[in-house]
Amino acid sequence: MSLRSPLEGRGMIEGHGGLRLIDLTLARRGGLRGSGAREWLLSQGHTVPAAPNQIVASGESDSVMSLSHREFWLLQPNCGASSARPAAVAVAAGIWPLYCQHSHAWLQVAGEPRAEIMAKLCGVDLSEAAFPQGSVAQTQVARVSVIVAAHQDQDGRSVFSIFVDQSLARYLWEVISDAMKEWLG
Amino acid sequence: MTERLPLPYGSRIKRDTPVSARFDGRELPALEGDTVASALVASGQWVISRSFKYHRPRGPLTMAGHDANTLVQTRAAPNRLADELPIADYPETTAQNLSGSLMADRSAIIDWFGRFLPVGFYYRAFYRPFGVWHWWERMIRKAAGLGVANLSASPHYQDKQYLFCDVAVVGAGPAGLSAALKAAEGGASVLLVDEEPELGGSLTYHRFAIDSDAVRSEAETLIAKVASHPRIKVLTHALCNGWFTDHYLPVIQGDRLFKVRAKSCVLATGISEQHVVFRNNDLPGVVLCSALERLLNHYAVAPQGELVVLAGNDQAWMTALTAAEAGLPVAAVVDLRDAPDDAALLAEANARGMTVYMGATVYTARRDSESQSLCAVDIHHIDSQGEVGELIAQTDCAVLAMSAGFMPAYQLACQAGAKLDYDDGRAAFSLSGLPAGLFLAGSVNSMYALDAVLADGRNAARAALRCIDMTADEDESVTCAAQVNHSWPIFPHPKGREFVDFDEDLQIKDIVNATRLGYRDVQLVKRYSTVGMGPSQGRHAALPTARLVAKATERTVSETGVTTARPPVKPEALGHIAGRRFHPHRHTAIADRHAAAGAQWMPVGLWGRPAFYGEPNYKQRCVAEEVTAVRTGVGVIDVSTLGGIELRGPDAAEFMNRFYTYGFLKQPVGRTRYAVLVSEQGVVMDDGVAARLAEDRFYVTATTGGVDRVYREMLRWNAQWRLSVDITNLTAALSAINIAGPDSRAVIEALDCSIDLSADAFPYLCCREGDVAGVPACLMRVGFVGELGYELHVPSLFAAALWDAVMEAGEPWRIKPFGVEAQRLLRLEKGHIIVGQDTDGMTHPSEVGLDWAINRSKPDFVGRRSVDILAASAPIRQLVGFSLELTAPKPLEGHLVIKDGDIVGNVTSCAVSPSLNQIIGLAYAHPDTANPGDRIAIRTEGGVLVQARVEGLPFYDPQNARQAL
Repeated sequence: MSLRSPLEGRGMIEGHGGLRLIDLTLARRGGLRGSGAREWLLSQGHTVPAAPNQIVASGESDSVMSLSHREFWLLQPNCGASSARPAAVAVAAGIWPLYCQHSHAWLQVAGEPRAEIMAKLCGVDLSEAAFPQGSVAQTQVARVSVIVAAHQDQDGRSVFSIFVDQSLARYLWEVISDAMKEWLG
Repeated sequence: MTERLPLPYGSRIKRDTPVSARFDGRELPALEGDTVASALVASGQWVISRSFKYHRPRGPLTMAGHDANTLVQTRAAPNRLADELPIADYPETTAQNLSGSLMADRSAIIDWFGRFLPVGFYYRAFYRPFGVWHWWERMIRKAAGLGVANLSASPHYQDKQYLFCDVAVVGAGPAGLSAALKAAEGGASVLLVDEEPELGGSLTYHRFAIDSDAVRSEAETLIAKVASHPRIKVLTHALCNGWFTDHYLPVIQGDRLFKVRAKSCVLATGISEQHVVFRNNDLPGVVLCSALERLLNHYAVAPQGELVVLAGNDQAWMTALTAAEAGLPVAAVVDLRDAPDDAALLAEANARGMTVYMGATVYTARRDSESQSLCAVDIHHIDSQGEVGELIAQTDCAVLAMSAGFMPAYQLACQAGAKLDYDDGRAAFSLSGLPAGLFLAGSVNSMYALDAVLADGRNAARAALRCIDMTADEDESVTCAAQVNHSWPIFPHPKGREFVDFDEDLQIKDIVNATRLGYRDVQLVKRYSTVGMGPSQGRHAALPTARLVAKATERTVSETGVTTARPPVKPEALGHIAGRRFHPHRHTAIADRHAAAGAQWMPVGLWGRPAFYGEPNYKQRCVAEEVTAVRTGVGVIDVSTLGGIELRGPDAAEFMNRFYTYGFLKQPVGRTRYAVLVSEQGVVMDDGVAARLAEDRFYVTATTGGVDRVYREMLRWNAQWRLSVDITNLTAALSAINIAGPDSRAVIEALDCSIDLSADAFPYLCCREGDVAGVPACLMRVGFVGELGYELHVPSLFAAALWDAVMEAGEPWRIKPFGVEAQRLLRLEKGHIIVGQDTDGMTHPSEVGLDWAINRSKPDFVGRRSVDILAASAPIRQLVGFSLELTAPKPLEGHLVIKDGDIVGNVTSCAVSPSLNQIIGLAYAHPDTANPGDRIAIRTEGGVLVQARVEGLPFYDPQNARQAL
């Protein structure tokens, strides 16, 4: 049975200067929550951020994002989405898997004006100076809750990964594309 | 049309780019870069508009968009300021607020009857004799308003954007430039905002010194440095329209409202030049000195005819020099003082052969009847404060440039809480009491000499840097002793028409009379006379008003004060405030399939849900067909909007037991239970189905609109209880499909299901996990619609594919998708309540027959105490089922239930049941009439009372045999 992104058919939006909006919803991601989640990830060989609201590269193309002292997401853009239901049992005592593969759509904005684009939608300063690579913000964009992570994609480009409730993915795609228009020529 | 002055005059115009424009239907030659006003003056026309009350001809006063004299009508909107309206963007404009034509306005007759229309006359004139108001109202409504709104104009795109910076500098004149550069050199990110189209402010038109070359060179260097500095972001043509707490600045540029978040802020907003109050000071051709300088330097427009300069300070003499250099014939310089502060100015004027009158004023301006503009001025000696002596000269002139002094552009500072102080000795204002992080620079800070202005800008930047913990060098010592304000530039004339406020046509007597009527406070004078309420917001009227009120009430200006400044600084369009509007909307993962199947959508919170499938005109038939499909075959509905929350951990059952009313500790794995949540006040908050999937794992559903609150409450309570349970909201992660009807089991079996679906292995109210069509799924046997049914909860990314598989597998049984309308009808037939529809903010469980869902043997649950108290008190209403024949008027939800003339309840649900062939519904009734067979009176449309029969619930399949198949 095939997995379908809520943004199926939207394709990709590209503009000048490397500006790009893509849908990575079908790329793999998983999450863990619990007091021992950090140690468990370390024991599995992952690199883990030192503090909440940070993202670090782990391995060749993976990233680990911390949303609190006890909640972490593992992002694997080069892998396809897992077709299994998240394990319902604890991976270790008090450490529970999260459903972020299905709960959140994954949008990615690349290109020079990305912070300006987001400034039309978000009250948090996402400019490089205020929101450097490795930063994560759990905030509101265009009146909906999102997670924004500033990091590098596998090609070394600076990007914002934006995670939003999958039922709001189309809405967010619409507003981001609208905000991008003046750079699309 | 006059020839434009040669370079370097005309910094804003492109001489080789003519613009084809029209004003009031006439051709108006113009150049790109012109405003409508500059093009009109260049063409020899000073008259642009008619005044608000007396319909007097008016022309530009400031050439900066700071007065209402240039209000014109564009195609799209009225009340646009011609002196800031780029003619290239608005090539067609007309005059407004007139009857007839601009030069022959019939309404100008009002000017002749002005003595009968004193200030505030409308408060006292229109209500006597009784009933006359209705006659006046028609007249007033016809006369009210300026211009014509274009009701067919289509809205255009306007949006908002945040901007962040360390230091925001408002005003890009010399002080602002200096402050921005210093702050940026100190390492700060700087936002520099100015409403003019270029950097420089007064440097672009004012000479500052007799030798203007040195100033020009210094200005060019400064502007170039700022423009090229990597840490300075420049916004020109951008209006900072307010100051809000923590330096939150709304800045309007074009169609965008920037919401600026600055760590600190420097206000270099400059000053507003003040006019001299004398008879006919509003004639077209009478301008502020800065307006003439702008015409010359920005637009290369040298107005025709001779010029008289009326000076209250040395700056006006600079204007005379600038005009003379540009070739304007200067007929006279009239100084209100006995001598200029800088004697070199007098020497320079004499050297240029100008006629100079000292200690004199223009007492009357005279109007040319043809052009309706200035043609001459009467010059009198000043005998004492506001008193004139003999006529010295009557001088022909087409232009009078005046400057009585300057008022700080205090609006933003005062919005921030600054106090405007007046020094009666120096006749000057100053600002004090600024909030932390806000600093003044330049002329708004009473610095007028260019060197002092620049140094003050640097000092403000240093203060801003220190404020945000960045290092700055030592402050420079700055003083400025220049006196720029004349203490009393007001000269009453026996025949009046000495205007204090041009926007509102207010003269000296209007202000004075207001004080005589008892309005001694300047705020009351403002409200009574409307002084300062026009588009210029008191920029020019505040100071003369304060002086007049002070004199009339025998106080000083410092005691009188000025009126309060509030945002916005200048008028702004509602579209800027609205901006690009965000309306979040949620789609289930199956939304495309519904659309393809002809769904008619209905909003449920942020969600869009299919109400039914089919043509909107055949709604009832479509819904009936969907109901029939579920009752007789199989239907499928997308219930992904239902909330889903998972509780995992050793204390999951204990948490459920404390949170919901029912007992959950002994709930077997693989079973579901109805879960009711009440508030601490005992009110029904939400309901759902709790499935125990493992000893330490529950999956509980919640209503579409209630899940966020339920989840929030769960987290809140567990923060107190500190149980070992992980709570996760899976509403988005899991999608759900309800397959219902006698054939539902067969359809799922056809889907390659790994679960034994037989009634024995998977009975009613049980739950199972397994694979359906290759998709990992949690199945629950539920009976919300009263038929054999299964809810399939699957990871959302699989939902669309699963829906396709279900529709394909169900083809042999003619499976039919059904919408919310059919679902609500089906559940009504089963007598199931919907929380939020059949309950309200007062409903407790007993009222809706949910006593059975309360476990009173367990120690406690949220809301237990209140539920017990409510259950022990005498009931006042009861939710009952009722029925009516199809021929009866159908009650609507909300219709009242009446007993003995009193309201005892209301209808909460009502529909025509195709299964039962009658009208059925739920309503709150008096407990005395809540038993099956009782009658309740419902007041329907038009007040018609119908007697409905109370029925036992459920209406359909009372033995619940069908759902337990």
